[in-house]
Amino acid sequence: MKLQIKRLTSQIILFFSANLGYPGYPGLKTGFCYPFFYCQACPAATSACPLRSLEQSVDKGSFTWRLFLFPLLIIGFLGVLTGRAVCAWACPIGLLQRGTGRVARRVKKTSLARKLGAYKAEKYFRYTKYVLLISLVFVTSYLIGFIFTDICPVGFLTGTIPVLILNPGKFVPGFFFPVALVIFALFIVLIFLIERGWCRYFCPVGALLGPFNKISFLHIAVDTKECVHCNVCSYECPMGIDVPNMHRDPECILCGKCVTACPNELITFERKGQ
Amino acid sequence: MKKFFALQVCAILVVSGLLGGMFVSTSVYDEVRSGIVLVLCLSCLKLEPKTLADFTFETVDDQPHPEFVLENLSHGPVFLHYSGDACAGCDVMYPVVKDLFSIDFGKQDMFHSIVSFENSSVSYIYVNIHHTIPELRNAQPIYDKDHVAGIPMFTIVTLGYDNGDVKPKYTTLYGTLATYGCDTDAQRLVFLQQLLRQSIDMYNENEAGYPHHS
Repeated sequence: MKLQIKRLTSQIILFFSANLGYPGYPGLKTGFCYPFFYCQACPAATSACPLRSLEQSVDKGSFTWRLFLFPLLIIGFLGVLTGRAVCAWACPIGLLQRGTGRVARRVKKTSLARKLGAYKAEKYFRYTKYVLLISLVFVTSYLIGFIFTDICPVGFLTGTIPVLILNPGKFVPGFFFPVALVIFALFIVLIFLIERGWCRYFCPVGALLGPFNKISFLHIAVDTKECVHCNVCSYECPMGIDVPNMHRDPECILCGKCVTACPNELITFERKGQ
Repeated sequence: MKKFFALQVCAILVVSGLLGGMFVSTSVYDEVRSGIVLVLCLSCLKLEPKTLADFTFETVDDQPHPEFVLENLSHGPVFLHYSGDACAGCDVMYPVVKDLFSIDFGKQDMFHSIVSFENSSVSYIYVNIHHTIPELRNAQPIYDKDHVAGIPMFTIVTLGYDNGDVKPKYTTLYGTLATYGCDTDAQRLVFLQQLLRQSIDMYNENEAGYPHHS
């Protein structure tokens, strides 16, 4: 089976696995945290969003170490084994962005997108997700009780919208609904304009997983000695990484597109070593 | 190369050891399941349920009323206040309820008191689902009449007359009461006061026939 078909199969299976919690069908509600971005407010969710557990652990000056460590260890376990591969092989939001990626690829070819992509500031903009993680998941939760999940666009997509569809007329918008709706609209625009735009710039779970690329067993290796720098791999990379010059880049989601694209087969998945 | 591999092995051993240790020696799995997965924060859902504040005899799936509710019903109506951590709606309603009964307690406390409301006794039970005992937490689904499974949630249990019997009768409210047109703390307070008066009137009408009445 071709690599990208395998990945799609994995994404679809894990999407359904993440949604086995619908009451009675089979109603599997566990006490795990997802290792990716998915909301426990989804009527079919089986597990908790890792961010929710983290936010709750530091709510308003308190500190509950169990809720703090638990999602970090689940993410850490998969992170050490596979790095950020969870983003490309398991995350349902990754699957969604795979769908919108075709549109984003067309946008990428426009002259305006090329100009914007050429700005050096773009790579610094990727740190936004780390800022979001620290500020809205930890700092505001700890200091004032304002939490990221109150305005989370993924929660809106996977929780709010399904609940509204399944219970027509049973709910009214809450306090955070208008703000979350605007952010959700921007999220949709973003993923249609920039391939993997959410993963690149804003995903706090990606920010948790990214650093594990530095030490993960599974990683992508480039034979730089033989590389002719044709840049086909970089063009194919949905995360916009300069693949030949990357070395365990925290942005790499191990989707394997560069592995498939390299005409000289110089890019490979490696299971251990540097 | 070997050093790096050793580092990787150490990392996976530490992470998996800690994770396994947490499963074995702590209740974190149950905490996440009962406190996050099974009971939603309505602020995170960004929605509030449209519900009626009318009183009913029928508990969810006809489950019996918990013993602690029946015991406290001897003193007057029972006001059950379900709250939680990291929940904006709970933070909105917490001071409103404190004002309603002129009481003070910590948001993470287990709090129970017989309070006076307009010269009538009310049993007030505060349950922070993230810092409580299973008996109190497990009572929430019994009164979740609209199958919302969300916090904040308020249940007022009083007495009602049903085909010759006096039985517990209750109503449940959810969220910040936006569905009842309450947008300010003052409006929320007035709404809860009206509902409490109604429950006290029902209690006084039926109190004499309540079998648990001492």
